[in-house]
Amino acid sequence: MIKLYVLPFLLAGSAVLHAEPSVTVPPYLGVYHPKGLDEIGLWQEYDEDERQLRDSSVIIRDEKLTAYLKEVLCRTVGPERCGSVRIYVLKESVFNASMAPNGTMRVFTGLLLRCRNEAELAAVLGHEFAHFEQRHSLNEFKKRRTTGDLLSWAAVFAATASAYQSNSSYQDLRFSVYGDLYRYNRDQEREADRLGIAYLNRSDLPPQAASAIWVNQMAEVTFSSQAKGFSKPQFNQIAYTASHPPHLERAATMAALALPEGSTRDDGHARYKEVIGPRMAELLQDQIKAGDFGASEYVITSLAQDGWTADLWHARGDLFRLRGNPRDHVNAVDFYREAVQLDPMRGESHRGLGLSLMKTGQREDAYVAFKRFLELNPNSKDASVIKMLLPTLVEVKQ
Amino acid sequence: MKIFSKRAALLVSLVATGIFSAPLSANSLRDPDKIAQVAKSVMSVTPPRAWNSLSLRPGKNTEIWTLDGEQLNNVTFFGGIASGAPLFKERNKKREPLPKMRSDTLLVEIPELLEGTIRAYNNISIFSVINSTPAKFLGRDGIRFNYEFTDNDQLPRLGEAVGTIVDEKLYLISFEAPRFYYFERGIEDYRGLVSSASLK
Repeated sequence: MIKLYVLPFLLAGSAVLHAEPSVTVPPYLGVYHPKGLDEIGLWQEYDEDERQLRDSSVIIRDEKLTAYLKEVLCRTVGPERCGSVRIYVLKESVFNASMAPNGTMRVFTGLLLRCRNEAELAAVLGHEFAHFEQRHSLNEFKKRRTTGDLLSWAAVFAATASAYQSNSSYQDLRFSVYGDLYRYNRDQEREADRLGIAYLNRSDLPPQAASAIWVNQMAEVTFSSQAKGFSKPQFNQIAYTASHPPHLERAATMAALALPEGSTRDDGHARYKEVIGPRMAELLQDQIKAGDFGASEYVITSLAQDGWTADLWHARGDLFRLRGNPRDHVNAVDFYREAVQLDPMRGESHRGLGLSLMKTGQREDAYVAFKRFLELNPNSKDASVIKMLLPTLVEVKQ
Repeated sequence: MKIFSKRAALLVSLVATGIFSAPLSANSLRDPDKIAQVAKSVMSVTPPRAWNSLSLRPGKNTEIWTLDGEQLNNVTFFGGIASGAPLFKERNKKREPLPKMRSDTLLVEIPELLEGTIRAYNNISIFSVINSTPAKFLGRDGIRFNYEFTDNDQLPRLGEAVGTIVDEKLYLISFEAPRFYYFERGIEDYRGLVSSASLK
């Protein structure tokens, strides 16, 4: 853990030590068109994937949100480049974004939850766009295509032999919807890092956000791994860090390449919160219910650096209550109390408070909390079950 | 030539795996009106019609029954999940932990327990509990709830479950089916099973 606290100092130090030449954005070559039978075939597959993706129920169909993400991307990479991109937002709690060679960009809601401002979002979108502009996934495909047919056969057999619960029969469809996870090699990552920073340097956003989100992501994985009992961070367990290995060296390089005078630019924090804010409670619920306690706790406390909100306290209460160890309920009581103090009209927090109070033996207070919940949410989906608890608490009270 | 022989070896091994693993995945028929113990537990049901019981068990005290295949109608029995145990067997205890049943779990928390399990086990974020009401189950106070979710096959599904807690152990029977056609078609058969359920 101590290592994390010294990260900013390390970064600052290495920025001086490894002062890199400045980076520039190359002239844009325009939209790439597939050449030869293989590539045309591949494009058709990506187009078919995009059709499946477009119709999928995991897509969040919010035109305002999608337009905002497109606008951030356009401000990052420039209007002529971003014209070739179609952005899709997937309701999926993990941190991830990817871009297919045909211009389909997938943004997972887990990324939107974790970004603290527009600049951090721009850094990730720009990095993915850089892989696209440099045609990295296309090059990977060319390299791997000799083994492709062998893998196809394996997939056919796996699909017919497997059972529903193993989920493997859905892998093909899953790839169509969630995108292929290319594991880029180190040189490709370096290229994308440099080009990503070059976009940001040229934009009106602070380029320092690129190393900031990287460091934040490394810290989250470290917390998650520690909570699970690993002595070392398990970077391969998270989709984005598995396909984009995080190294301190990369964060340091990005910090060094960022234009120093860009650090005073507006990072778009207020605009970002205005767009994402209304979805915050839902994004937090998706995160805490995915079952990664350490990562969720890190995400919540990291977001709280901008100030605790009722959403954040409530989510933290739910996180501890759902883990359900006796000491967790004691903490959950405190967190829900903070939530109802900031937003006394939030019924769900009174419900959570009541449940945690019950578990800690404070039945009279639990009664009061449930009563308040029922007053605020008389038609809640589990109001009748909560009502069932009340008589048992009243007996104790008398 | 070398590539071809590698490929042939792979195909042979895959076919062989398929053949030899077949008897291991044998499923069985549960006859109508005959008492059947389920989920290696003291819970039993008397099915009003014939059901298929799958040998594949997602957890130690679980069992899946289906009419047309588990993707079209899936009844899962949870027979006495003890305190400290997850509902399904964890694929990896350390890396992918699942929510656990607790000795102080309340009836009102059962929907959250099932929700957390399905979300984490299937890696999905589209899941919501629609409603829950008090209900009698196994002759005791219990909870009935409905939910909807989209699994990795992108098919929207509906679910209904009834559960109760006896001696700090969870007993639950859930039914999941695609929202279109199959849920409506199978729900009464599932409810027939639930009303026949009892503890030994």
